Amino acid sequence: MNELLTAMKNRVRYGAHHAVRQDGPIDILTECETRQLSWPRRVACLVRRQCEAERVIIKPDERIVFTRTLPGVPPIYSTEKWAQLTGGQTLHELGPISNICADWNLLLSQGLLRRRQVALATHERLVDEPKAVEFINSAIETIDAVLRLAARYASKAREEGREKIADVLDNVPAHPAQTFHEALQSLRLCQAVVWLSGHYHVGLGRFDQYMWPFLSSDLQAGLLTVETAEELLAEFFISLNKDSDLYPGVQQGDNGQSLTLGGITPAGDSAVNELTRMVLRVSRDLALIDPKINLRISAQTDLDLLDLATELTRIGLGFPQYSNDDVIIPALVSHGYDLEDARDYVVAACWEFIIPGRGMEVVNIGAVSFPAAVDQAIREGLNAQDDFEGILDRVAKNIDEQVHQLGEAYSHLLLPPAPYYSVLMDGCLEQGKDLSEGLKYNNFGIHGACAANAADALAAVKQFIFVDRSISSSVLFSALKANFVGYEKIRRKLADEGPKVGNNDSFVDTLLVELFNDLAEACERFGRTHRGGFLRPGTGSAMFYIWLATGHVGMREPVVEATADGRLRGEPFSANLSPSLGVRIRGPISTLQSFAKIDYQRICNGGPITMELSDSVFRNPESIRKTAMLVRTFAQLGCQQLQLNSLNLETLLDARKHPENHKNLIVRVWGWSGYFCELAPEYQEQIIARHYFE
Amino acid sequence: MTSGIVFDVKEFAIHDGPGIRTTVFLKGCPMSCMWCHNPEGQSRQIQVIWSPAGERLSGKEYTPNELATLLNQQVDILRANEGGITFSGGEPLLQTDFVIEVIELLDDVHILLDTSGCGQEQDFRRLVHRSDLVYFDLKLIDKEAHRHYTGCDNGLILENLYVLNEMGKPFVVRVPLVPGVTDTNQNLADIVQTVRGLSGLLQVELLPYNKAAGSKYQYAGMLFKPEYNESHELNLNTVAFEQANIKVIIV
Repeated sequence: MNELLTAMKNRVRYGAHHAVRQDGPIDILTECETRQLSWPRRVACLVRRQCEAERVIIKPDERIVFTRTLPGVPPIYSTEKWAQLTGGQTLHELGPISNICADWNLLLSQGLLRRRQVALATHERLVDEPKAVEFINSAIETIDAVLRLAARYASKAREEGREKIADVLDNVPAHPAQTFHEALQSLRLCQAVVWLSGHYHVGLGRFDQYMWPFLSSDLQAGLLTVETAEELLAEFFISLNKDSDLYPGVQQGDNGQSLTLGGITPAGDSAVNELTRMVLRVSRDLALIDPKINLRISAQTDLDLLDLATELTRIGLGFPQYSNDDVIIPALVSHGYDLEDARDYVVAACWEFIIPGRGMEVVNIGAVSFPAAVDQAIREGLNAQDDFEGILDRVAKNIDEQVHQLGEAYSHLLLPPAPYYSVLMDGCLEQGKDLSEGLKYNNFGIHGACAANAADALAAVKQFIFVDRSISSSVLFSALKANFVGYEKIRRKLADEGPKVGNNDSFVDTLLVELFNDLAEACERFGRTHRGGFLRPGTGSAMFYIWLATGHVGMREPVVEATADGRLRGEPFSANLSPSLGVRIRGPISTLQSFAKIDYQRICNGGPITMELSDSVFRNPESIRKTAMLVRTFAQLGCQQLQLNSLNLETLLDARKHPENHKNLIVRVWGWSGYFCELAPEYQEQIIARHYFE
Repeated sequence: MTSGIVFDVKEFAIHDGPGIRTTVFLKGCPMSCMWCHNPEGQSRQIQVIWSPAGERLSGKEYTPNELATLLNQQVDILRANEGGITFSGGEPLLQTDFVIEVIELLDDVHILLDTSGCGQEQDFRRLVHRSDLVYFDLKLIDKEAHRHYTGCDNGLILENLYVLNEMGKPFVVRVPLVPGVTDTNQNLADIVQTVRGLSGLLQVELLPYNKAAGSKYQYAGMLFKPEYNESHELNLNTVAFEQANIKVIIV
């Protein structure tokens, strides 16, 4: 990486540009109230006013501009009115539509002016439908606002003699991009405005697909070389890190700015191109946490590409995350997705598979607490003198109840209008329908959290109570109630001698599979949602691996007490699909084999097998190749998703003691990467307690 | 059936041979090298290890069938990734019958024997015969020094090295570099003299000293008493090997 880029990266990383930020959010409420605006018009007003209030910032060396200066997104309703408007309904997380993916190709190939023409044509056609007219007018208000913002940047650039920037902004985002540079600039500005409008987890989709035509023609025309294109790309990636501290998330870094590479085209051919490799290289050389890279692979993926991806893993950003097309595409098809759409899937903020431009899916409406379902079943079952089958029946019933509750809560889901985001989706302007009214796909996702601990608890009960009868049910019951105080021997037996997920041991793996089958059945039984979609079961755990152990304000699920796998009250669970913390595991092959048993044709919402490899693994090209083979093995075994992390335990421990020396230490948390020293202590502890394969 | 004592089965052992491998660590070793980085591999007995992570038992008894069944679960994967099974230790030669029974029960897979060569010639021949590749450790050529630092004579070892070559098996000679002990120019030159002209030798690998080993001793209830300066800079001089046209790498 050249010096200019290094300097630019460091400036962004250390927040030099924070100095240009405005003091507080602007007031939009007054205008909304004075003009008595409807909800869609308020949102459009918000987008317009935010764009108008942005100050034009052009830094000396940059070629891709836009620096956000507004710190926040102001309210468009008073608290009381908002409560009235949303009363009795469910808002997803913060409210605004989040965690979907725009059809960025639409923007780059049409330009905003063409989108505006489409809007006008629909306006003419549907002139007697007030709702459609209102939506179209709102959408046009936002388009015009973005165009004016771009024009202000262009004229300032011209004023300052930055002709190249001015030329680029004269063309985009108004018109279709003509060059790679224009495409990057158009994307940067239009994506930033999505964030500015209050949406979050704004993904970048299949970047190597929609960007490739621009890059490819520039390379052919000799406008760019691979090297100069990589410099532009690096600059674009740096720009994605500028405002990320302003994005909402559970922890700093949890911003869902993800990007998907590779896989196959809608026609079924390999989608890997030079830009795929370029993104992997630039991301490796930059070592910044945004964008978060996902790589779609299959059992046939070539090892050279996986070598390059492993080099990115090696530097310790916690990505790329791998998704297996062989498993995911057929699963999506069998869940009602058209084949071409399924082949076009991208990974959402963390793990879930969504279709850019065509999905208004809420991929994470919540998580089933497997530990709670199992723990309750064990305690009640032991009390009622159930046999093991009886306990399993209770587990299934508990899971079903939890799914039902989550599904019911979301049958009152209220999605606020999103006129600007709608401009970037397939068919909204064409049909005069806001994105919030739904797109082609409208499913919900539910994850099954902390499965390994739950399966281990069941296996321990089966082994020690029912098979070898070495522990009596009353002793286990008392030990659990006492949080194992006075029962340390029992706890050690449960923790050390019970069969554990991750060792390819069918005794316990069968129970893991059963938990997910119960989840799939519960989702199927729930049937259609009020938005016409269904519930997609998944294998992620998000923050629940901490929250279920420690509790969290507003959490619906109960805190789980001591569990029959020998886990003490308050101890965290393992993240996503990974062996329980602190248990003996033979290694990564057995772990992959354990998790390969899950029926991913039913469990299709994503959620990765999560593995930490010690950084000593990545010593030389030979071991890089072996790691690439491990990734290929993951795909060959028919697993769904893999998150491979490179970490050094000593470094983590030192960072706890001397955070000032480790400001740039990055770790993968659950579905995203963040700076270790910016995480809350409980998240740091959990990462330290994970399994490290050397 | 002879049962065996194994102190670890480690998957994805990337430093133990070609491709993706699983390494079986056999418990018990006739040597007691002062720098041994697997002290729990020395005793043949199952023992308690007290580490900061808690107390655990080191060593598990397996019948050949049990171990082979476990390993066969992943043989397909190892084979598909240009790898296989490595038998290491401790010293596999101490459990020759067990190891051979396990190998005979394994599905077709590449076998690597990682040995100190310190064992009976007959055992050595039988194990080498069933292996596809041998990693042969050479520490010190000087007899006295060898006895002092490893607790045993190197006569058998050097004889077995020539047996290995004569059997026509491909092998790698691995030299742990211990500062001031095995990394001296004299010892390296002696090693060159010893291995020069051996037709089965693929290459010599020099393994730099690992300072992390010391802490493992107290966990195993043993004493770590290095008679050398652990922090002394290693002599990584490979000239003698290169002059003799012996391929050498530092791992």
